[in-house]
Amino acid sequence: MIKWFISHQWKDAKRSSMWQKNLVLNVVLGFFVFLIILEALVGGIVLGKNWHEIFPNDNPVEKFNSYLIYYFAFDLIIRFFMQHVPVLKVTPYLHLPIKRSKIINHVLSKTLFSFFNFLPLFIVIPIAVFQVSYYHSIAATWVWFLSVLFMILSNNFLLVYLKKQFASNPKVVGIFGLILAGLILLDYFGIYSFSGVSSIVFTSFINNFTFIIIPIAVLSFVYIINYRYLNSGLYPEEIRIHKEKKIDRISDNKYIKTLGKTGDMIAVELKLLLRHKRTKTILYMTPLFLLYGLFFYPQEIYRDGYGFLIFIGVFISGGLMINYANYSFSYESSYFDAILTNNYDLRKYLKVKFMIAISMSTISFFLTIPYFLFGIDILLINFVCFLYNIGCLSILLLYLATYNKKRMDLGKGAAFNYQGMGASNWLVMFPAFLLPIFVYLPFGLTGNPYGGILVIGIIGMIGLIFHKTFLNLVLKNLIKRKYIMAEGFREK
Amino acid sequence: MIKVKDLTKAYNSNVVLNIPKLQIKKGESFGLVGNNGAGKTTFFRLILDLIRANTGMVLSKDINVVGNENWKFYTGSYLDEGFLIDFLTPEEYFKFISGINGLSKGDLDEFLKNFEVFFNGEVIGKKKYIRELSSGNQKKVGIAAALMTNPEILVLDEPFNSLDPTTQIRLKKLLKEMQHEKNVTMLISSHDLNQVTEVCDRIVVLHEGNIVHDIQTNKDTLKELEEYFAV
Repeated sequence: MIKWFISHQWKDAKRSSMWQKNLVLNVVLGFFVFLIILEALVGGIVLGKNWHEIFPNDNPVEKFNSYLIYYFAFDLIIRFFMQHVPVLKVTPYLHLPIKRSKIINHVLSKTLFSFFNFLPLFIVIPIAVFQVSYYHSIAATWVWFLSVLFMILSNNFLLVYLKKQFASNPKVVGIFGLILAGLILLDYFGIYSFSGVSSIVFTSFINNFTFIIIPIAVLSFVYIINYRYLNSGLYPEEIRIHKEKKIDRISDNKYIKTLGKTGDMIAVELKLLLRHKRTKTILYMTPLFLLYGLFFYPQEIYRDGYGFLIFIGVFISGGLMINYANYSFSYESSYFDAILTNNYDLRKYLKVKFMIAISMSTISFFLTIPYFLFGIDILLINFVCFLYNIGCLSILLLYLATYNKKRMDLGKGAAFNYQGMGASNWLVMFPAFLLPIFVYLPFGLTGNPYGGILVIGIIGMIGLIFHKTFLNLVLKNLIKRKYIMAEGFREK
Repeated sequence: MIKVKDLTKAYNSNVVLNIPKLQIKKGESFGLVGNNGAGKTTFFRLILDLIRANTGMVLSKDINVVGNENWKFYTGSYLDEGFLIDFLTPEEYFKFISGINGLSKGDLDEFLKNFEVFFNGEVIGKKKYIRELSSGNQKKVGIAAALMTNPEILVLDEPFNSLDPTTQIRLKKLLKEMQHEKNVTMLISSHDLNQVTEVCDRIVVLHEGNIVHDIQTNKDTLKELEEYFAV
């Protein structure tokens, strides 16, 4: 039986829609994943090797142990939001003559394959190799490593349990976070040292091997709680994690209603964005795009030439818009036929998309105005990039979007879901991105940077003034390509 | 074979099923009809212990299906695509089902041979995952898998729906054969009054979770049902 489960697990991963895209994109993504792993590996080794130099006054092993308690607490919070608990996929096995206990063990062991169980190993193993084994025996190192590993896994199962209890109530996590912050403050001001407790506990595993019983007991305990919980009711409708269903009201906004037919179209688009996991993730990730500037602006090297700042400027006010406009037709792939067959005014349809795209860009721009604190030139650059985004990039992206004929399944997956995105589509985006830089370069190189910035702004203004003409070109292309698009969208 | 006692299921105090008493005898072919939301699928899910009843119980061979798994060994069922492991190919899925039921390679080959006609050359050897099949072909896979183990009880939710006419006729023939030759107890729900009166010798009508008719099929049944539903 276990053989079957493992084989199914493997096939599920191998055949998941994530891999069903074309080779080029796979290679590119594979390369990025490889880079991230390599960075984590190198980072972990460097940190592990030099740990004792960072805290020259403390015993390095005890110091590391003192941080573990906070790591586990943070880990729990992050897991709560990010870790996926795979329970739903048991449905096809429930009616088959398979022992319930086997199904439950399978469900629980599945959670072990989470990324969050592997991530800490990148630092824990180097610490074990370079620090713990330097001061202690090999046996002690193993005991320490296994204790930490068991605690990581305990955290995993604890999360599975907690997530089922509190998924509908994320406030609990907020309270937990506040308590944690409080504890850290107590620790910081030396009122009560939880890190000291952590240090004593984890160091004791090294000094007394029999204490490894404790993490084993904790791990068994959380596993058994989960097992009991699932055994008491392995019903799909109960183990499915229920989130409180709230019907969003934003899309029924009074103002939108006054816009008549256009308003109805906007409402549909907003509902589309707010009621799918994948699109919601994009909205949630927007703050990250906006904060991108904090990473670059303080560093002098990026401030030298404006070329790079223009690139960031396009990205900051355009990040959200790009995600929307570029796939605005594929988002609707599941009902694209309905759009074509119903009495939908395609010109209006396109205009709604344009309006939403530029609203997204506008909001992003206004939110990033505080970047002027890094220099008024940054605000200027961001402003012309914003003009370029709403005047040119928005229309350009809509035009390119008509060439996207891959069906997109919005219901499934969220972060790192590239289903329905084609490599070709990514590649054509680059020129759209780089255009303002190319415009700027001849001015920048001839020592007239402000001229270049001005021209970018003018291009944006021209696009904005003549947007009707340009949207007509997009419309023509949409009408020409609608059969190809609809056919592609129908293909599952 | 199956006894139902005081069975109720409610969602947020909205009762969707209420069956105080019902018995299905061995070898009986039990047809369940009713409009959308009448509780057909809910009833089947309760029989298969896929949802928790608010009160009452379902006994299969006099044993409560909750907390006991013996019924799984003699019950074949297909309610919806959720029963399929959709990232497998049909061949892999059948192999898996035969494996967990302890069938040999020979049994599996024989099964596939017997169902060759039923599949109509559209399921086996197509190098497609189940999720890529049309809903009709997915249904064929699910029904075939339910029949594979020669079950004593067969539970099918709207089996004729989305099948092509040829396959509908073949399935009807297959089900009748199973009734007469193997004395299989069948629970079949359907919206197609024609089909269900043809296959089943007892028809139960559900309305808003309650049994409103319980008829032994005779030549007037179809007319009777049509009159009932023609509101």
